Parts: sequence; C-alpha cells; structure tokens
Amino acid sequence: MQALVFYAFSAIAIGSAVVLVSMQNMARALFLFFIVLFSVAGLYVFALADFVAITQILIYVGGVLVLMLFAFMLSNKTLLDQLQRGTSHFFALPVWQALLISACFLAILVYASLQLGTFQPAWMVAAEAAGTTIGPADSTVNHIGIHLMTRYLLPFEVVSILLMMALVGAAHLTRKEANP
Amino acid sequence: MITLTHFLIVGACLFSIGLYAVMARRNAIMVLVGIELMINAAVLNLVAFGRYDSEHYGGQAFALFAIVLAAASVAVALAIILNVYRHYKTINPEDINHLKD
Amino acid sequence: MTPDTPTYPILAAFATVLFPFIGFLLSALAGKKAKSGFLAIITIALSVITAGYTFAMVWGEAPIHAQWHWFTIGNEAFHLGIFLDNIAVLMLLVVATVALPVHIYSVAYMKGDPGIHRYWTYLSLFCAAMLGLVIADNLLLTYICWEIVGFASYLLIGFWFTKDAAAQANKRAFIINRIGDIGFLIGFALLYSGFGTLDINALFGMEGLFVVPAATDAPASAAQGGLPAGWITVAGLAFFLGAMAKSAQFPLHVWLPAAMEGPTSVSSLIHAATMVAAGVFLLARIFPLFDGTVLLIIAATGTITALVAAYFALTQFDIKKILAFSTVSQLGFMVAAIGIGMYPIALFHLVTHAFFKCLLFLCAGAIIHEMQHLSDRHQLGIDPQDIRQMGRLRRYMPVTFATMLIASLALVGFPLTSGYLSKDALLIHAFEWAAWQQGVAHIIPYVLTFVSILTSFYIFRLLAKVFFGPTVTAPLANGQAGIHDPSFWMLGPMLFLAACSFFPLFTLQPLHYAHAWLLEGIGVSTPWAPIPLLHVAVPAVTTAATLAIAALAWHWYVKGKYALKTDGLLYRFSLHQGYLDSFYDRVVVGAVLGLANILRWLDKHLVDGIVHGLAAIGRGLASIAGWIDRQVVDGLVRLVGKLAWGLGSMLRHTQAGRLQGYLSSLFLIILVILLYHFIVQA
Repeated sequence: MQALVFYAFSAIAIGSAVVLVSMQNMARALFLFFIVLFSVAGLYVFALADFVAITQILIYVGGVLVLMLFAFMLSNKTLLDQLQRGTSHFFALPVWQALLISACFLAILVYASLQLGTFQPAWMVAAEAAGTTIGPADSTVNHIGIHLMTRYLLPFEVVSILLMMALVGAAHLTRKEANP
Repeated sequence: MITLTHFLIVGACLFSIGLYAVMARRNAIMVLVGIELMINAAVLNLVAFGRYDSEHYGGQAFALFAIVLAAASVAVALAIILNVYRHYKTINPEDINHLKD
Repeated sequence: MTPDTPTYPILAAFATVLFPFIGFLLSALAGKKAKSGFLAIITIALSVITAGYTFAMVWGEAPIHAQWHWFTIGNEAFHLGIFLDNIAVLMLLVVATVALPVHIYSVAYMKGDPGIHRYWTYLSLFCAAMLGLVIADNLLLTYICWEIVGFASYLLIGFWFTKDAAAQANKRAFIINRIGDIGFLIGFALLYSGFGTLDINALFGMEGLFVVPAATDAPASAAQGGLPAGWITVAGLAFFLGAMAKSAQFPLHVWLPAAMEGPTSVSSLIHAATMVAAGVFLLARIFPLFDGTVLLIIAATGTITALVAAYFALTQFDIKKILAFSTVSQLGFMVAAIGIGMYPIALFHLVTHAFFKCLLFLCAGAIIHEMQHLSDRHQLGIDPQDIRQMGRLRRYMPVTFATMLIASLALVGFPLTSGYLSKDALLIHAFEWAAWQQGVAHIIPYVLTFVSILTSFYIFRLLAKVFFGPTVTAPLANGQAGIHDPSFWMLGPMLFLAACSFFPLFTLQPLHYAHAWLLEGIGVSTPWAPIPLLHVAVPAVTTAATLAIAALAWHWYVKGKYALKTDGLLYRFSLHQGYLDSFYDRVVVGAVLGLANILRWLDKHLVDGIVHGLAAIGRGLASIAGWIDRQVVDGLVRLVGKLAWGLGSMLRHTQAGRLQGYLSSLFLIILVILLYHFIVQA
C-alpha cells in the first residue's frame, strides 16, 4: 500500500515534470510545476521528513510559486504576450543536444543509484548497525528545532541574512527607475 | 519501507528533466523552473540520505536551508529576468548573447 | 692617300664643300638670329675662292684622287674620297660662281621675309650638297649628295609652305625625284654587283674598267666587265632614269615648272647650276657606261624634251613658267648632246646656260619684285608673275631690260654671246653625228634646230610683252607706276652674270667655238669627220631665223597685230602643258590612290582579320587558362580557406555567448568526468 502510494506520487511528479518542460503555455506550465512540487513534498513524507515536506509546501507553493505567478501576471502586456508565445521551434538543434545530455545524466545517475543499492557506503552501514536511523516514530520537528538552534545555529543565521539580502536585492532590482 | 534507491531514481529523473529544461527552453522563466526542479531533486536526495542520520538531522536541516536558498534565488532571478526584459525586450536566453564579444 | 698626290688642291676642294656646310650648321644653330645671310654669303664666297684655286691647280692637269677608308661591309672596304678631274673642277667652279651672285641677290630679294633664317640655312645646305656631289669619288657618296640636293630643293621649293601650291609643288618635286633616285640606286647596285667597286676613277677613269670608247657604238666595257652586256644596258638606263628626274626630262619634267612656287632666287639656283645640272653632270661622269642603245634613247629623250618644253613655253603667261620650260628645253639640248656622245659639248652648254639662265631668273625676280610693289602700292591685286599685266617696263627698269636682253640673246644663241658658242657647237655636232649615223637619226638635228627657233620665239614674246608691249595695268600705261631698277644688291649680281654671258669668258674667237678653252680641256676626239659647210651654215641659219622671229614677235606683240587664234587645239594643248599634269593626277595619282585603297581594304579585312583571329584564339586560350586558374587552382586555395572557415565557424558556436550553451558544455564536461569516474571504478 505504502509502495503503491509512493509510486503514484513518483509517477505524478515525473509525468508532470515531463509535461511541464515540453509545454508552450506559460501559465499551465506553472500550475504543473505546482503539482510537481506537491508530489515531491509527498515524497518527502515517505522519506520520513515531515517538516521538510511542510516547509516545501509553505515556501515553494506558498512563496516561490506565488511569486512566479505574481511576476508573471503583474508584468505588462507585452511581457505577457512574450511569455505566452514561448519557443517557436521545439526540435531546434539545442533541443536534441539537451535531450542527449539529459538522457546521459539520467543513465549515469540511475546507474550510480543502483550501485548504491548494492554497495552501501560505510557510514550508512555503520549508522544502520548503530541504529541511528530515523524511524517513523521519531519526532522530526522536535529534533530539527533543537539542532537548528544549537548545532546549525551559524548556518541558520547566515541563511537568514542571505535571505534578507536577497529580498532587498530583489526589491532593488525590480524597482522602477525614473530614467533607466 | 521504501528503499533509498527508489528515491534516488526519482531524484535522478527530476534532475534530468530539470537539466533538460535549463538547457533547451527558450524562456527564462522556464529555465528558472528547471533550476527549481533540479534543486528539488537535490533536496529529495538530501532527505532520502538524511534518514540514516538521526544523530544530527544533517540531511533534513540542510534540506531546509536549500529550500530557503532556492526561494531567495527565485526572487532574485525573477527580478533579474524582469530587468533583462526591460533592457533587451526579450526573455529568450538565445537572444541575450552579449557575452559573445 | 697615295704619297705623291698633291694635297693642296684636295684640301681646297674639300674646303669648298666644307664652307657652305659650316655655313649651314652655323645658320641652323643660330636659328632665328641668322637673318642677315652674312654667314651664308661669307662661306659661299670662301668657297668661290677655294674653288678657283682648285680649278687653277687642276685644270688641264692629271686628275687627282684622294681617298680615305670609310667603312667595311664584310670584306668590302668603302672609301670616302675626292676625285678631281677637269669635269669636277669645272663644275665646282661654276656651281660656286653661280651660287655667290644668287646669295648676294637674295639679301635684297628675301629681305623682310619672316622665314629668312630658314632660307639661308637651306641655301647653304643646297650648295654644300651640290659641291659635294661634284667632287665625290664614288657613286655611293654621289648618291648621298644627290639625295641631299633633292631634299634641300624640297625644302626650298616649299619654302613658303603655307601656300598650298608651294606645298603641292615641293611634294611633287620630291616624289618625282624619288622615282629618279630609284633608278640611280638600281644603277649603282648593278654596277657594284658586277664590278665590286663604286669608285668613279676605277670604273670610268682613264685606265678604268670602262675606257672611254673611241667609237660610240661599241663600249669597251662589254668585253672586260663582270657584267653581261645586257645588264650594262639596263644599268645605263637606270642611271639615265635618275638623271631624267633630276634634270627634268620628259615625261618627268613636271616638277620643274611646279617648282616655280619657291622663291625666284632659289629657282635661278635650281635651274642654273645646282639641281638640274646634277643630272647632266652625272651623265657626263658615267658616260663610258652607256652603250649604243642607251645613247640613242638618251638622244631621243633629250630631243623630245627640248621640243615639248619649247612648245609648252610658247603660250605660258607666267613669266617664271616660261623660263622654267625654257630650262627644260635647254636641258633637253644638253641631254641630246650626251646622247650623240659629245658630253664635253653638253657640259659646255651647261656652263654657258648656267650663267644666262641664272641671269634670266634674277631679272625675272627683279621684275616680279617690282610688280609686287606696284600691286601693293596701288591695291591692284594683280598676279605679279603674269606677263599680261606687264608692259613698257623698259622705261622704268632700263638696266634690268639690258641684262635680260643679253641673257635672252645668249639663250637663243645670238652671235657674240656664250650661248651662241655652245648651241652652235651642239647643233653642228648633231648634224655631223646624224650624217655619220645615217637613217632616222637625221630627225634629231633638224628637230633641235627647229626647237632653237621656237626658243627664239618664246623668249622674244616674253621680252616684247614685258618690256615693250601695251599694258592693261593703268599705272604702267600712264607712267605713274613709280617702279624702278632694283637696288645695287640685286643689280650687282645681275651685271656680273651678264658679263659672264658674253663670249670672252670662253674664247677670244667670237664666232667659232673650236678654240674654247673649255672644250680643249675636256674635249674628246670625234669619230666622224667635220663637215666644214655646217660650221658656216648652222650659225647663219639660226641667226637669220632668230632675227626673223624677233621681228615677228615685235610685229605681233608690240604692234598688237596678233595673227593666230587662241582657241586652237595646239594652242590649248600648249597652254595646259600637254595636259600632263591632269594625266598624272588622274592616271598615276589615281592609280596609286586606288592601289592604296585596295591595300587598305586588304589590310583591314585580311591582315587585321588574321590578327584579330589570332587575338581571338589567344583570348580563348587565356580564358580557358583563366577558368582553370579560377576553378582548379583557386578552388584548391579556397578549399583550404573553406576548411579553416568551417572549422572556425564550427568552433564559433561554442563561443556564441549564450548562457544555455555554456551551461550545456558545463554539464557535458561533468558527464564526461562522471563517466570517467565510473569507468575507472569499474
């Protein structure tokens, strides 16, 4: 049952992504992206990362996607047309090059993943032996909160400053200049 | 229990799709979407490997950081795209080739 | 030079030629500054002195010959030399002596002419060439001088080259002289091929290859020469052709009347001593060459010329034309004298003729000069040379009349004049020769006698019309003309020449030629016995005829009782000079032009066609080569270029400046690294 749901989520995510990248319509693509993000969030849950899944939904769906839609819809008419029109030649030369490279990457990654299934790294074997793997019963939010405030305090603060700088920068970039 | 390999393969698929979008699409926003897909694939891997670290929760913590940074990057990228459009009157990265000379 | 040759006469003769030549060079160098003619007169005067010295030294002595090596063709050495015998020194003296008065006369006559500097230059060249011709010791040198004489005469006849008639006349003179020159050239080429030398002394001297034949009938040369007798005849005829053109023999005489377009002083020089004398001189020089056939042809030609020219002279109105035909006629006499084998007589007549004909022309020049003044002063616009406009000039120009009368009497051979001596000698010998020859040869002396009567008529017609007759020109008729005898510069030479036209210059015996020093100096023994009767009869008849004709002319022209119709065929034929000019124009010039047109057509269509064909072939080859060059050679070069370009443009895509392109290559590299990693791991 669990596996079935996982496969379903995976299928939805991958299928939506495939349709997404081959889609001409900008708005629909963004909504498909929305679906992809939701299903990926569902996959996080299967990886026993509830908090990450919630964060994914909150930030991505609630933040990034809304930002994109706003940017898309609030921009002027000509930009909208430009975006709606999209690309004109799907099978242009770069397309098959990109397809080839992507396929190669996929093959290599899948090969590496399969390798990983047979020869596990030492630290994973040690963790399994020590029993320090996250179980379904563990309270991840509790542990993450503690670790963020203790062990990962410095990265946390740096990220918050970075986030702040990014927001200020973005606001500065998008501000309308009197004479560009 | 879903094995690690399953997650890795799904991540690989998403990464490849994102990679394709980044390289092939003629639309800066779609390129951005591709980048987000790749980041999501990476985050998925982080989360998947994070299962083997209940001691420090490194995987999940850095997944959070990555998501936050992705959000910031999206904001900045969108701002840049808008500015580029203002400047070049296009968001097709093919046409923005001032790096050439 | 042989050691025993006396050098002074040679040097003097050389100087005689050199002086006018120096005059020519200096005048040419001085250009427009040499207006006075001082140089030319000084040089010709020096020439006269040296010529006189040479004459005094050589006349009656053995010939002097000096030569220097000139150039060598193959094994044949050519020499440049001076050959002085009696003929040469005689001519030298005559030419110089006649040229000097003409020079002096020219000072006044040519005064104020804008081209006077050219005049002196040409005149000096003319005299130098003629003097050189006389003393040249081989035929090649003679030919060179001969050509220069022709060229200088061309320049002088066309002296007023802006006048169309003058330009036509000098062209005609030059072309006809070229015809003669070809004859000369063929002649001496034949001689050279036969005998291997052109030396006059070696060929025609006392001990030469051609010994002067004792009998005119059989030249000694035929037996010993390297040339067959037939070719000797051809060579003789060729030389005679040259002399015909130069000495204006019928039918090549047409240039001489036309040459009247030159200045009158030049005409006098051409007619008297320099140009036309050259032909007769040449015939005398190479006389031993001629065999019986040639001599007969020469005699016939001379006689015909004498007759035809005298006939043409009867009706001319241009004073210079009458004198010109008179000259042609007298040259006919000389040539006829050569033809009968008496070249000393020919030379004798040449010398006497030189003086009186020169005088006639100078007188005519003086008259023309005054008539021109008259015409200018009264704005009459008359032709100053037309004798119909003249009349009663005796009253205005008595000295001129006197000198011209003397010259005319000399021309008709009146007793006490020099002409009497030479012409009677000529006629008498002609009769004797005819008696010796038998047959149709008798025609010749009778014709010549008739011609001498015609001569009397035309010259007395001239005198009567110019000096006595009624005039249509008003100022002349009413005594208000205001013309007079010319200045001393012109009169002096005329008086000098008039003095030379009398008998004492040649012999002290006024009525008989036999003891003339000239004939004694170069005389030859005659093969025929003298006929004493002729020595009385001929002078008597001609003198009587002359007097009768003079009376007739007086009666017709002075009294105005002209008895003949002026529209008869003979009259018109004479007036238009036998229509020879139009005949030449139509036949010869027309034929030449037609031939030229045909040749031009051939040239244009045939020769040019071939040339164009060759050009087209060349162009075709070139275009094939060009195609190969373009397509093959250039193709290879371009292939290399294309390769480089293609490589560059292929690589260029990697530097397109597109972010996605860079990104792609980035991922490609990562891919390669990963592959490598896995392969190494495996």
